[in-house]
Amino acid sequence: MKKTFRRWLDGDIDLMENITRTAHEHDMDRDEIKKRKKAVSEIIRQREDSQSIILAEEKGFRIFYNIAAIISCVMLITVLLYCVANLPRFGQENVKATVVTQRYIEKGLEETGAVNIVSGMILDYRAFDTLGESHVLFTALVCVMVLLRKDWKNMNSKFEDYSSIRSDRYFQTEKDVILQTIGIVMVPCIFVFGTYVLLNGQNSPGGGFSGGAILGAAMIIFTAAFGFRKVDRFFTLKLSSYVTFVALSFYSFAKGYVFITGANGLDNHIPKGIPGAILSGGLILPLDIAVGLVVACTMYGFYSLFRRGSIGGG
Amino acid sequence: MIEWIRFWITAVLLVIGLISFAAAVIGNYRFGYILNRVHAGGIGDTQGLFFIVLALIVSCNAALDILKLALLVVFMWNTSPVSSHFLSQIAYYTDNELWDHVDRFKVRSHPESEEI
Repeated sequence: MKKTFRRWLDGDIDLMENITRTAHEHDMDRDEIKKRKKAVSEIIRQREDSQSIILAEEKGFRIFYNIAAIISCVMLITVLLYCVANLPRFGQENVKATVVTQRYIEKGLEETGAVNIVSGMILDYRAFDTLGESHVLFTALVCVMVLLRKDWKNMNSKFEDYSSIRSDRYFQTEKDVILQTIGIVMVPCIFVFGTYVLLNGQNSPGGGFSGGAILGAAMIIFTAAFGFRKVDRFFTLKLSSYVTFVALSFYSFAKGYVFITGANGLDNHIPKGIPGAILSGGLILPLDIAVGLVVACTMYGFYSLFRRGSIGGG
Repeated sequence: MIEWIRFWITAVLLVIGLISFAAAVIGNYRFGYILNRVHAGGIGDTQGLFFIVLALIVSCNAALDILKLALLVVFMWNTSPVSSHFLSQIAYYTDNELWDHVDRFKVRSHPESEEI
């Protein structure tokens, strides 16, 4: 209302317009006018009714939403507090629950050669689980590629002109000086940090997943700043699939070898190295690199496929 | 004595940082329009982070930790304004009712304000 008044003050609209327009139609039949007025008032009444119903529904939903939010918060708080109250005291021994944990903490360094216990766990004791996770990422990338990739089927659709909508030029925005300046400074730092996290997974917090995520994020930032064409020069679909395939098959074969020899009580001849050095922890460092490459390829692949429907042009 | 001075400097800086973050949170909830919200959020990311990291720098002893915290400030001060800039740029390009949220009497001289 206030906005309309201000617009009327500025002279943008004319509030008397309707009245002046109908004044010319006085030569119409009286019955006709009555009928029309009735119809109009009926329509207005119906609309007001439906609007009031909608408003009441909105109000009721808001009340319901508030009550439900309060109830769910209180329930969550109660459950969490109950769980916390039932936890063993700090430092108290709880033999049943901590057999596996104790084994990891006491013998982890000796058996895996990794200072970082988490890396030793996920890439040595439970390496099969991590293999499954990497394959989940790979499968997700393949599914996204099946659904979104540009090929002759969805390029030649009769219904919409996909070829123009999904071409690279459609998304090419104006070059942004601010983003490019920050990108020149930041992207090398992010790459170096990602590599550090990836290679130092057995000695410090980090490892394959976090390092790969940082590398993928750096590539996404670089793409956002400088366009797809610069990345397409070194990162093509071929390279992406080769890297993913080699990493996953190396992971499977190396870990399968270790599992087979370990299950049969044989020595697997993989040196553990000195704990704390870069080349230590047996297979943990190469497996970290494999997982990190898969994660980086998957992240950039997702971005590229969702953004323009292909990896590395074409 | 010096420990006490350090403690109080740390406490005051932490409180200033927390006030900045509180302003950011309240602004994010109270303001209705995206540009105001971006402005409020930017205060927390730059000013609040700076004061809290400064408090941590005053309170910690190791030189490596100080270097890492300083790098944190450098990184956040470089990246956070860029993201705010992009949010507001997208709002500027996509919002058709942008000029309804601007004080029209102040920006009368702007060419785009005339046609609405």
